[in-house]
Amino acid sequence: MYDILIRRAEYEEIDEVKRLLADNGLTFEDAEYTAIAKHRNEIIGTCSFSGKIIKCFAIREDYKGEGLSLKLITHIIDEMFGREIYEYFVFTKPENVDIFKSMGFKIVYSVDKVCLLEGGRANINKSIEEMLIKSGLGCEKKSALVMNCNPFTLGHRYIIEKASKESESVVVFIVKEDKSLFPFDVRYSLVKKGVLDLKNVKVISGGDYIISSATFPSYFIKQLDDKIDAYTNLDAHIFGKYIAPAFNIVKRYVGTEPFCRVTEKYNDALLKILPSYNIEVELVERIEKSGNIISASFIRSLIKKGDFEKIKALVPNVTYDYLVSEKAKYIIERIKNEK
Amino acid sequence: MEVKRIAKSGTFESNDIYIIVEPKGDEGIEINLESIVMKQFGEQIKKTIEDTVKSFKIKSIKITAKDRGALDYTIKSRVETAIKRAL
Repeated sequence: MYDILIRRAEYEEIDEVKRLLADNGLTFEDAEYTAIAKHRNEIIGTCSFSGKIIKCFAIREDYKGEGLSLKLITHIIDEMFGREIYEYFVFTKPENVDIFKSMGFKIVYSVDKVCLLEGGRANINKSIEEMLIKSGLGCEKKSALVMNCNPFTLGHRYIIEKASKESESVVVFIVKEDKSLFPFDVRYSLVKKGVLDLKNVKVISGGDYIISSATFPSYFIKQLDDKIDAYTNLDAHIFGKYIAPAFNIVKRYVGTEPFCRVTEKYNDALLKILPSYNIEVELVERIEKSGNIISASFIRSLIKKGDFEKIKALVPNVTYDYLVSEKAKYIIERIKNEK
Repeated sequence: MEVKRIAKSGTFESNDIYIIVEPKGDEGIEINLESIVMKQFGEQIKKTIEDTVKSFKIKSIKITAKDRGALDYTIKSRVETAIKRAL
């Protein structure tokens, strides 16, 4: 390996990066940082990252097998380290798994077309163990719900209440990824306050392994492509294989999804996969109020219109009080400006 | 001495070892090692790491190590470098 230069890609080079990725059957996704390997003024390899996710990795066919991937990925990891990212994930095709394994990455789960690996300090078993200890939950049988609550509505409250009545103990995982209009801290504290009266319900952070950009990237970009089945299956398997046994979860409640195709696909995957891990899945019909199905996206559309009277009837008091408070102003601005 | 921040050393190249050291909440030396020669040399690598840590009189540290067949003196110097960067 002689005079090969590895550095950050310049803006003008992105088109060439896109071509290299396309030759390898990949598409370029927006990235925080894109690295390239150059030889004789041609781009022969590329790799990118966004947050904790390493992606868009490709090496030109005639340069494969020369240890170039190692140098490229090391460059990416060093760059992440400099930005204080010490835990990282990579989605890759099964044929690339060995490259990452040789660099100390470990397979979290592999489905047909996609394999999720983790590296650095990331360790699924350890972080789930820590989640469990932090939650203070015991080893009793539990029902689980995974929710984004963007924001918390009476619909969410209804499903949690139903689970609370029907189970010994309930754990509600709030999606941690901060890609929703309402930030995690807000979503989390509204749910927590909103279910205080339900004594057997615990609200905790979903962490890195439940609907995160590591387990389920399409959830946040809401695109319905050929990868969606792979991602939904991946998330369901990770829940079944790692999270449910650690928390002793025997049942998962899921709300029906009449509007969003991605969520609908996700529900299908849960219904198909979780029973194979001995987890019962109950699909709960969304509740309606005055002819409208209560959903967070509907609430957001009402916020956009400024129809707070209508919202009042559809969300718990905690959410309403928050929405009309000074603190919510910037979020409401953001929703109003959204296309 | 005390590990104050997270630091790394080494590479993922063959015959090298990649080390991340970081502060640990409580006392103790925690080593998470992965190695391509785990079965043959796992214990020995851990011992080399531990001895190097002890030579700094460090009581609380968490070490993540990804080994690709590094020799003892490589391991020792990589751990040393990472610790010095973390002090």
